[in-house]
Amino acid sequence: MSFPLQDRRAEEKLGEILGRVGSVRLRLNSLAIQHAIFYTLAIVIACGAAIFVGAYLVSPLIFLAGAAVLVVVAASGIVSAVRAGWRMRASAAGAAAVADDRAELKGRLSTIVALAKDETHGPLWSYLVEDTLGYQDQFAAAKIERRRVSRAIYPLAAALVVAALAYPISKIKHAPQINAGSDGQDDLTVDLDDLHLRPADPGDNSGMQVTADPATMRRLEDKLARESANGGDVAGNSLNSLVNRARDMAGNLQSKLTGQQTASKQRLNLRLADADQNQDQDEIHRAPETRKNKHGEVAGQFKQELPKSNDALNLPPEDDARQPNAQPSSNSTGDAGVESDAGQNNPNKDDSASDRSIQQSGENSSNGGEAHGVGADPDSLFGAPASSKLGTEGFEIAIEARPVDHGAKGAGHAYVPPKVRTPLSADQQPDEPVARVAVPADDRNTIKQVFER
Amino acid sequence: MSDVQAETPTVADFARTFRRIQAEIHKVIIGHEQAVEELLSALFAGGHVLIEGVPGTGKTTLVKTLGLALNLSFNRIQFTVDLMPADITGTRVILSGDDGRREFTFQPGPAFCHILLGDEINRATPKTQSALLEAMAELQVTVSGTTYRLKPPYFVMATLNPIEMEGTYPLPEAQLDRFLYKVRLNYPDEGELTRIISSTTGPEDAGIEAVFHADEAAARVESLKQLVREVMAAPALEIYAARLVRATQPQNSRFVSDEAKAVHDEMVNRYVMFGSSPRGAQALILGAKVRALLDGRANIAREDIDHVAVAALAHRIMLNYAALSDGIDAAHIVERVIKSVRAAKV
Repeated sequence: MSFPLQDRRAEEKLGEILGRVGSVRLRLNSLAIQHAIFYTLAIVIACGAAIFVGAYLVSPLIFLAGAAVLVVVAASGIVSAVRAGWRMRASAAGAAAVADDRAELKGRLSTIVALAKDETHGPLWSYLVEDTLGYQDQFAAAKIERRRVSRAIYPLAAALVVAALAYPISKIKHAPQINAGSDGQDDLTVDLDDLHLRPADPGDNSGMQVTADPATMRRLEDKLARESANGGDVAGNSLNSLVNRARDMAGNLQSKLTGQQTASKQRLNLRLADADQNQDQDEIHRAPETRKNKHGEVAGQFKQELPKSNDALNLPPEDDARQPNAQPSSNSTGDAGVESDAGQNNPNKDDSASDRSIQQSGENSSNGGEAHGVGADPDSLFGAPASSKLGTEGFEIAIEARPVDHGAKGAGHAYVPPKVRTPLSADQQPDEPVARVAVPADDRNTIKQVFER
Repeated sequence: MSDVQAETPTVADFARTFRRIQAEIHKVIIGHEQAVEELLSALFAGGHVLIEGVPGTGKTTLVKTLGLALNLSFNRIQFTVDLMPADITGTRVILSGDDGRREFTFQPGPAFCHILLGDEINRATPKTQSALLEAMAELQVTVSGTTYRLKPPYFVMATLNPIEMEGTYPLPEAQLDRFLYKVRLNYPDEGELTRIISSTTGPEDAGIEAVFHADEAAARVESLKQLVREVMAAPALEIYAARLVRATQPQNSRFVSDEAKAVHDEMVNRYVMFGSSPRGAQALILGAKVRALLDGRANIAREDIDHVAVAALAHRIMLNYAALSDGIDAAHIVERVIKSVRAAKV
């Protein structure tokens, strides 16, 4: 027989137990939600920071690949974090089980929560409720789960630290760019083999402009035509096209992230060697070591293999092999085709021819297996370079490239830092160009003997 | 059935009575604490016990002591190869009446008691062993078409001698399954053996005091058994017990139909021929309920189930020859199953 007062007390006790279980459940679910949110934020922030730093530090293609990987990792990480949070959620029975386990209540709470909905209870039900209520201090929410904040706050804090460090890192190191002339010098050294030419997309004004004398321009056009026509198979061209598009896309993304123009977007004007004869000659006649010492120079050598068709480049015939120790001459036929073309607009034809012969001898030496720079071959110091094997003949074109601020639409201005002129000390004489003089005939033999020794 | 109506016991009453019976038994039985507890658990859970032990470990003494402590009627049957079913259940005999008329009268066998000890049950033929089936399962025996009810409580304890296997008949699986627990009596350790020597070779006998009065013993035991049934089990724990039982069944068994949500252990698939029957799950829950009451709880916990799992399931698992050759016993399988089910999140 049951009494109403007794039943009401039993209901109150049961309600108190269920309320405490509800508090435990609330706290567990709060932690589960925090887990999902904090980990998601941590992943997003860390990956965002990594992409931001990468935009400054790495080249566009690496940036693109790395960013793609990071996005995939972040997406999977977020999914994992959300799933983990979902798994951590607790139902009433789950919260009771957790409370049973942590408070060592041996299934009391689980049994009460599971059987509380039943309309009829056995004779031991009131005993169970009373017994369980005696442990109420042990299954308070604060004792079952002390944490109010998920441990996922630590990864989030770490991600925030990483994000905070990303900005100064990005300011310290910048992505490698062709900052032509950024150091106050005008020259850039580029290997022509590494120069890939392709026509600019219609309407794209951000490409590189090359100015040169007609002969050199013609060679570049030939190279461009050759690369476009038969420079590779179709698959290679399409792959190059894809790579270029990817590079452009990555460059655009990097530009947006960093607020700077990347190398691919910088507008460069390459002015080839023969365009400015006097300055170029000085540049060309410098010893290679001298030029190399000018780190970051813009002037460079474009190294190009001869095409099989000599007509295409107006090169001398193959049987026009130069003899070693040949005397330099303005009528030298060693580079006649080039010279004749280049010399049409070149008032200083002799110097130009001499320059070419020097460069070509260096190239020939290189083809012979030695890595001499321009003018370093003693056999070519005073004469035409030695002939090389057929089909391996090459030449070098010295061109000069300078960044030009044209202010073209869609193109940013290349950053040209101001030149810093340090005053000379009182004891130092200003540099003066050494006048170019011909080597006396007597000394030629002496010098030649020195090199032949 | 006893006419005495016992008062509804409380959880505390149960634990107190249980411990008191235990103490009385341990006046005679030295050691074997776990075996005694399992024996009493099976009694209050309403099951029967198969006791396995080498000779001289106190199997018969244990059963006799239990009968004395409970103050219930007690019979013993020494199973031999020529024992017949009628020797257990009883038979109809021709008796002469006062008027000189002869008529068939049912003469109850030793099965008609509260506590029955079947000593070395594996020495009888399967036919004789099976004579106990009906008594154990349905608390009745049928002789010559007439069914006779047995008085509750009815508790069968059978002993098995694991050695001297010649001339023995392994118990049929159907009969094995009817034992709630299989209790193993191991050799006593040195301390226990010393106490056995001193307590059994002296002039004084250990005085066993009956816990219940003879006229209320049956009713008291029945009320305690009813209390056990009142212990609550959360549905999650019933599912846990079911998973344990299902996990003892090998995956390739043709008798396993529903593979969904089943936990499979590689050792089970390799060594088990037949797993536990549903009676195993019932034994798990009933044994866990007794454990809960002993712990002062009105609900069972997972630990209770795990605690009784070996005793409740091991004898229901039939091992194959690979297990015998590799020295794997059923208790090991059950322990592996518990770990597998606990680890699995189905």
